[in-house]
Amino acid sequence: MDRNNILNIHHISLNEELVSQQEVFERIAELAVQNGIASSQKKVVEGLLERERLSTTGFLDGFAIPHTQVGEIVRPGIVILSTKHGIEWRSMDDQPTRFFIALLIPKNEAGTIHLQILSSLSRMLMHDDTRQNLLSAESAQEVLEKIMPILE
Amino acid sequence: MEKVKKIKIVAATGCPTGIAHTFMAEEALKKAAEKLGVDIKVETHGQVGVENQLSPEEIRDADGVIIAADKDVKAERFFGKPTIDVSVQRAIKDAESLIQAIIDGKAEKYRLKNNKADQNDHTGEISQGNSIGRSIYKHLMNGVSHMLPFVVAGGVLIAVSFTFGIKSFDPKDPTYNPFAEMLFKTGKVSFDLMIPVLAAFIADSIAKRSGMVIGFIGGMIANSGGTGFLGAIVAGFIAGYLVLLLSKLFTNLPQSLNGLKAIFLYPVIGVFLIGGIMTTLVAPMSSINETMQAFLSNFQDSNPILLGVIIGCMDAFDLGGPVNKAAYVTALALLSEGNNYFMAGIFSASMTPPLITAFASVFFRKYFNESERSAGLVNFVLGCTLITEGAIPFAAKNPIVVIPIFMVGSSISAALTYLMGVQVPAPHGGFLVAPVVTGVFQWVIAILVGSLVGAILFGIYKKISFANAEE
Repeated sequence: MDRNNILNIHHISLNEELVSQQEVFERIAELAVQNGIASSQKKVVEGLLERERLSTTGFLDGFAIPHTQVGEIVRPGIVILSTKHGIEWRSMDDQPTRFFIALLIPKNEAGTIHLQILSSLSRMLMHDDTRQNLLSAESAQEVLEKIMPILE
Repeated sequence: MEKVKKIKIVAATGCPTGIAHTFMAEEALKKAAEKLGVDIKVETHGQVGVENQLSPEEIRDADGVIIAADKDVKAERFFGKPTIDVSVQRAIKDAESLIQAIIDGKAEKYRLKNNKADQNDHTGEISQGNSIGRSIYKHLMNGVSHMLPFVVAGGVLIAVSFTFGIKSFDPKDPTYNPFAEMLFKTGKVSFDLMIPVLAAFIADSIAKRSGMVIGFIGGMIANSGGTGFLGAIVAGFIAGYLVLLLSKLFTNLPQSLNGLKAIFLYPVIGVFLIGGIMTTLVAPMSSINETMQAFLSNFQDSNPILLGVIIGCMDAFDLGGPVNKAAYVTALALLSEGNNYFMAGIFSASMTPPLITAFASVFFRKYFNESERSAGLVNFVLGCTLITEGAIPFAAKNPIVVIPIFMVGSSISAALTYLMGVQVPAPHGGFLVAPVVTGVFQWVIAILVGSLVGAILFGIYKKISFANAEE
């Protein structure tokens, strides 16, 4: 399983000028399609919205982990965004969200390795130092270097 | 010095998508357990399946259980253990206080609990938090999602039988067709079941299997008593809470009688009680019915707009229930006296609610989940063939808001129909009887206007509740 396919520098975009949840989802979907993770921007946005309706994906310290599993996702991928402005996300600590780690999974996925990758990522995000570490990253390259070890 | 045994906790986590929150809750619980000095084993229900499964011995030896799930984690295994049952979010946010509660002995023994929301109707309908409004919504949703296939199946079969002729099920009618008769009768069976099913699964959400049994009986009485779907909702809630009440009363019975409770006590006592309650409630129905018919006949020659509003409200009020039927029966009586105008308004008013849901589900797609969209499409067929019941599932989710919306749409359709002097000499069939209608063009316009106005209102309501669901 090639971790580079799941996450590489092209999947990461920091300091975006987005101001709403809709815009964040659209940007995530755009990056997904650009990098060959998904075939339909619209469907990715719809999927992310539907998942968000079930319960919020925002949790602590301005982090959110929107995720979805739709047929138009071609291969598993992680897209990471950070925004200049805090965005209202109904997070668990009621703080606006600025760091988005989006998990995109194909519907008919045969392997489970990527699911294990995603679950380790989720577990690690529960640790304060992991989050602070990520928040302190100043470039896409730094973010990549900090997350990659988690995906091992 | 006393050697204190380390407290052992078992937990099960699970979130509907099973990708992230399941494991975050696991991690949060583990961290909290370590901090508070207790042992914990966490079973996760993720996409990959169940990992770290708890063995019966581990459950038996545990001092407490934490369920942190928004899906079914087979919680029956924890029967009798001190258990804390919360949503996944709660565990992620608050793991320490959950574990502390077990340490402090504050967890109640696990017994008859709420059904977790029906997984076949995901997308936005699962409630977080335990406020009363949310529980009521959850119970209604469970009823509606189980009722929906019965409505669709019955409605479509009946509609198709109408294409052979609206009386083609009747051997004495010239359009009689045995196949159509079979379709109609089968459709009717499905329709007759929809009301008891609604009641049964509202009760099921409140009090699981035992509730469902009582709800079914209550719903059947409501149905034969002619109370329509509103009566079924009442029956379902009464049934569910009745069983909860019974279970509280019987908590102190010895463990060995548990089997007796489910097979004998709840069914017998529950059915007896719901029978009494529902029979009392439906008793006045027939006199209410007669009163409504008499009231209505007085209006047959009045101002078309006023009549339109009255008919529109009556038809949309219970969508095939007693009020709707009273209006319909009055129209039939007037029809036999030669008044074709009255029936025209009834047609329009009754066709409008399903068409409202159909148009709304198309123009406001985004705010409808998958099953709602499918049901909405089907309602184009049901609306056009005058099967008002197609709108019931949409109304049952929130009658207080949706029924008035339907009333507005139906009133507009009916008032316009009366204003334009449309005549319908047939007793049923909707657009299928268009060939015998006088003023078809105006009729269609009237129905379209009412349906589209209603659809816009309904769409706006769905949009607002979509936004609120993000809470």
